[in-house]
Amino acid sequence: MSAAGFLIIATFTAPEAIVPEPALMLWLLPLAASISITYKATKLPKITPANFIKEAAVLFASIVVFVVVIMLVLHAFRLITE
Amino acid sequence: MTQPAKENCLLLPLTAGLLAWSIPGAGHLVLKEKTRAIIIFATIVPTFCAGLYIGSIGVIDTVGPTPWYVYASQIMTSPMVAVLAWITAGGGYPVYSWPNEIGQIYTSTAGLLNLLCIVNAIYLAYLRATETTGG
Repeated sequence: MSAAGFLIIATFTAPEAIVPEPALMLWLLPLAASISITYKATKLPKITPANFIKEAAVLFASIVVFVVVIMLVLHAFRLITE
Repeated sequence: MTQPAKENCLLLPLTAGLLAWSIPGAGHLVLKEKTRAIIIFATIVPTFCAGLYIGSIGVIDTVGPTPWYVYASQIMTSPMVAVLAWITAGGGYPVYSWPNEIGQIYTSTAGLLNLLCIVNAIYLAYLRATETTGG
């Protein structure tokens, strides 16, 4: 195997260094995109590029908005109880 | 006379389900749903690989304190996950804290999304089989 091949495999054998900070929540975005794309790929009766992108974008936005609302509610709850 | 039709009703969904589990999107490909198959493959495989990249292959943990349902959802991505579990079983790839959590969330979600696709492929295959046999 070439050196490039070993390097690619090596990236999957050691974890990334992740600092716990508020920006960590951004890991949600690729996951929400993945969920919305896969879900719409199975649910749409007929897939056309425009329709598929629109439907997946709406679901993606719904997931993100819902998570943000829950975050705000939990944050408000913490402020009240503190 | 109804035996071949009955077999077809079972064989096509079973084949589609097994293929969908083996390779994400393959179940839809065998049903000639090429666009869906490409979208599913191009979404689930990178999600799973992202989980492995963030947390390393150590996130597939069958012997550590990880709950069983995490591995159960991870293996729904493909049976190949069992090979990774066999490699990591010796404990040579330790991973803790945030990389472990994010890696497990990504790989588990990829598996659960593939489970959705497996069920969808089986359902579509069943509909096709009953349409062709008139069942």
